[in-house]
Amino acid sequence: MSEQGIGAALTRVEARDKVTGAARYTADVVLPGMAYAALVSSQVSAGRLRSLDVSAAKAAPGVLGVFSHLDRPTWHRVPAIPYFGETRMPFSDDRIHHAGQHIAIVVASTRQQAAHAAALVKAEYEAGKPVPTLEKALPSAYVAAQGNYVNFPQETVRGTPEEALAGSPVRVKAEYRTALISHAPIEPSVTTATWEGDELTLYDTSQAVVVHRGLVATAFGLPEDKVRLVCPLIGGAFGAKTHVWGHTLLVALAARRLGRPVQVVITRKQMFTTTGHQPPTVQRIEIGAERDGRLRVITHDSTNSTSFVAERPENTVLSSVATYAVPNLRTRVRLARMNFGTPTAMRTPGDGPGSFALECALDELAHELGADPVELRRRNHADVHPQSGKPWSGKNLLECYRIGAERFGWHRRDRRPGTRREGNDLIGYGMATARRVEHHRAAESTVDIRTDGGVVVRTATQDIGGGTLTTMIQVAADALGVAPDKVTITVGDTDLPPGAPTFGSITSGSNGSAVRLAAQDARGAAIRLAVGDKGSPLHGLAEDAVDVRDGRLFAKADPRRGETYAVLLTRNRVNPLRGNGKYSPAESQYETSTFGAHFTEVRIDRDLPRVRVVRHLAVIDCGIVLNTKTARNQAQGGIIGSIGVALMEELRQDPVSGRALAPALTDYHVPVNADIGQIDVHFVNKPDHNSNPLGAKGLGEICSIGVSAAVANAVFNATGRRIRDLPITPRRLL
Amino acid sequence: MRTFSYVRADDVDAALRAITDEPNAKFLGGGTNLVDLMREDIERPDTVVDITRLPLAEVEELPDGGVRIGALLRNSHLAAHPVIRSRYPMVAQAVLSGASGQLRNMATVGGNLMQRTRCLYFYDDAAACNKREPGSGCAAIGGFSRSHAVLGASASCAATHPSDLCVALAALDAIVELRSSRGTRRVPLVDFHRMPGDTPEIETVLADDELITAVELPPPPSGVSRYRKVRDRASYAFALVSVAAALDVQDGVVSSIRLALGGVGTKPWRAYQAERALLGAPATEESFRAAARAELADAVSLPHNEFKIRLAESTIVAVLRGMS
Ligand SMILES: Cc1cc2nc3c(=O)[nH]c(=O)nc-3n(C[C@H](O)[C@H](O)[C@H](O)COP(=O)(O)OP(=O)(O)OC[C@H]3O[C@@H](n4cnc5c(N)ncnc54)[C@H](O)[C@@H]3O)c2cc1C
Ligand code: SF4
Repeated sequence: MSEQGIGAALTRVEARDKVTGAARYTADVVLPGMAYAALVSSQVSAGRLRSLDVSAAKAAPGVLGVFSHLDRPTWHRVPAIPYFGETRMPFSDDRIHHAGQHIAIVVASTRQQAAHAAALVKAEYEAGKPVPTLEKALPSAYVAAQGNYVNFPQETVRGTPEEALAGSPVRVKAEYRTALISHAPIEPSVTTATWEGDELTLYDTSQAVVVHRGLVATAFGLPEDKVRLVCPLIGGAFGAKTHVWGHTLLVALAARRLGRPVQVVITRKQMFTTTGHQPPTVQRIEIGAERDGRLRVITHDSTNSTSFVAERPENTVLSSVATYAVPNLRTRVRLARMNFGTPTAMRTPGDGPGSFALECALDELAHELGADPVELRRRNHADVHPQSGKPWSGKNLLECYRIGAERFGWHRRDRRPGTRREGNDLIGYGMATARRVEHHRAAESTVDIRTDGGVVVRTATQDIGGGTLTTMIQVAADALGVAPDKVTITVGDTDLPPGAPTFGSITSGSNGSAVRLAAQDARGAAIRLAVGDKGSPLHGLAEDAVDVRDGRLFAKADPRRGETYAVLLTRNRVNPLRGNGKYSPAESQYETSTFGAHFTEVRIDRDLPRVRVVRHLAVIDCGIVLNTKTARNQAQGGIIGSIGVALMEELRQDPVSGRALAPALTDYHVPVNADIGQIDVHFVNKPDHNSNPLGAKGLGEICSIGVSAAVANAVFNATGRRIRDLPITPRRLL
Repeated sequence: MRTFSYVRADDVDAALRAITDEPNAKFLGGGTNLVDLMREDIERPDTVVDITRLPLAEVEELPDGGVRIGALLRNSHLAAHPVIRSRYPMVAQAVLSGASGQLRNMATVGGNLMQRTRCLYFYDDAAACNKREPGSGCAAIGGFSRSHAVLGASASCAATHPSDLCVALAALDAIVELRSSRGTRRVPLVDFHRMPGDTPEIETVLADDELITAVELPPPPSGVSRYRKVRDRASYAFALVSVAAALDVQDGVVSSIRLALGGVGTKPWRAYQAERALLGAPATEESFRAAARAELADAVSLPHNEFKIRLAESTIVAVLRGMS
């Protein structure tokens, strides 16, 4: 841990504002003359609109306008990047592809008037026959051609998988299912749009203001610099805000038509139906192994649902491709279209459901072999990337296993299932490996040192609740040699230097690197200024003979000789001294991933079998940890989310219509505090400088990968029952 | 949501007048159920009559050893009341197992009795639902039926009654007091809710112009009592199965038993058949199981709720075992 910032357990800089209510979220934006919108949702899941009667809505008090496909919105172009992803623009025709689809937008003077008028819109449908569920869609599953989201190999073959299977002395084969789950962040999606002539400003709950700006510009046929996106703080996202969804474009459209600012806060129901979800998956895995546990082959076939207006395969199979050293492999991903909204990234896309299947299958193999699950994984450790053969930029997975097993007391596990009891409780231990590809993105930042010694970081990334504001400040403070409380940061605005999106665990590594480069640039410039300045005590020294600490530049050889940034800049009348940082990930000789190991203890009442996770330990290898407090927070949250995925999360659908049933937090269960036992997180905390200059890697996703498998494996250990379908509800255990 | 008018009644007579005079009016207790349903456009009163100021929020001890609970008492006050906690712990446990602290602070006893089903289709205005739109059909039967009843369902409706409190009240032989301009009547709680039959939209015997004024509990049954709720998460979820039980065992034989079930019936379910099987039987696991099976012998399941029959059996057995 450096005293200057990196690794320090700093409290989030925005914490006080958040708990006192002073924090401004997107829904807190109020512009002069602003009107409020409500969206009308389709009740049927397939077919077309026969008629749409908006007369009563238009006549309702306060209503300023009602728009629908009847108004023929003139979209310039469908943005051809994955962060819109749908092939159909909102309101382009009378077709219905899913229940909940926006069919009209009502704008009124108040939120309540808009909601009231929206209820008065009368739609008549020519209902089609929907494909309601993944189950019903499976017969028409297909392998997608490369496209918008189809950006990874849909089929991979390594070696000779079929022969390897045939020749394997031990084989396990099973089918696993994960449920349709929803991000359910506390803050719903919100957009406020305002036009000045041909210039559009959007205040939007966006996980990627820079990416989304380009997309909105394309939809409206505007040059990028005519669109500004602002996102102050986000109240949770988990992927629901990685994309631009219909409501954002529709609000911008309505604002343009009405010539005044318009805001929409979408409803909780619409959060479940129009801002994406993690699609359900059916995954078939077959493993062939030697009797000593060495893997010979894995085959992994995965099918997930997608909508009729987007093709989005869930990259579940990467777990099998990249986790273990296995010479033979075959994977395939298929899509099956159902009449539901478009799926999207949800913590953790691909590896969440994929690791559930793979890590359970490995547990089944361990049981079959009578092997210890940790030992089995050690034996199949991938020393290099199993597909490309390239070395890892940094990998401490074996250490994760060792530390985890030791701290958890794994040796107390009895490998015969159903044998450990306490009173009426069955006790089980389970574990799983976590692995996630580290993504890199270009990012820029500036760092200004001011004459008062204060520092300002400016970069268009955003804080979705994970502590980015704080960690970026720590990175700058560390590189500059100032105390973190001297640094302030501005993010979430496309007027700032383009930062990285806050998804895919990109922020720490990529944006952190940009901030670090900018801070180093500023520090270098200050040192150059000092050594070339006759008025400076450091005059004449070589640049590398100067160091900075606590905002003071000094001679390494004689620390008493020196001066502060403030004095230096004031004397030279430089305000601010700006450093620029531009991080552009280069083609690398390495493969970069984050790793981890999860260990969990469940207890299950024999008569009333609700699974309780009483103890969970995660050991995580994500490079250097920028802030141990926000990191622990982040990891605990990710683990809790995944315990929910393991035990209760499921957005249930009507088997006939496919509609989401009661899309509300009453029935969409996420864990409550009483569900959560002790959660310990341990970080390996070794920098991975081969990955990026900062040596930090993403944490947001690695912490939740493998948790659901660890829980399911613990349930097997406790009961002898192998539950291959998530969530593991009491019903499935009876 | 539609527009509606709001009036407030300060005494019982004013409330009764308002409910008669105002067209299509409904009483507003804590509003934790009614307002939600209005927002979903499922309840559509033209007027709500706020009754939360009525002087009906006391717990009174009765000369016979029972208690009288005012209908406007908030659920959290009910659960915290010393008399309830010491003499009717099952009631306090039932209330505390329901909803959340915030909701219980708002919810009233009368509103709790009158709360409507949580059937997912009842809340989905695009689905057929006989309870919401009489004669439209039932999307749950043939749809997703995991939360539905295995006891008391008809071909028109299989929705469960969601209340926890009512299950305890059913076990304790509670009496509901009702007032209207025609006078006062007293109805046993077990007869207050109706089976769905062909008219699932009629859920209770309460007339449109009647007000629940109190719930009376006779002196507590002898022995120990307990409320146990099984659900999908540790808290803040409706019951998959719940059991309210009061048991007395003398010389190894069941001398007194009260048993009611939640989560499995179309109304708060008093398990008379199980009680008959248990009374006078040895207090053993076998008797408990036989009694549970006797009660569940008539249970009928839909495609997704078969588990409730097994879960109800094991919950009954586990609760009685724990008490004996
Ligand atoms: C998220 C959530 C979770 C919940 N979980 C549970 C749970 O686990 N267990 C459980 O038991 N309950 C649960 N509830 C339901 C809760 O207990 C009820 O909403 C509450 O008891 C209703 O009381 P209220 O006073 O708010 O009724 P209101 O909403 O005010 O009224 C409900 C109905 O009762 C009528 N009414 C009210 N008072 C009277 C009266 N005195 N006479 C005649 N009619 C009257 C009203 O006209 C209305 O029709 C939950 C509710 C929510 C929203
Ligand atoms: S079970 Fe009852 S409440 Fe549910 S849909 Fe059928 S009729 Fe409606």
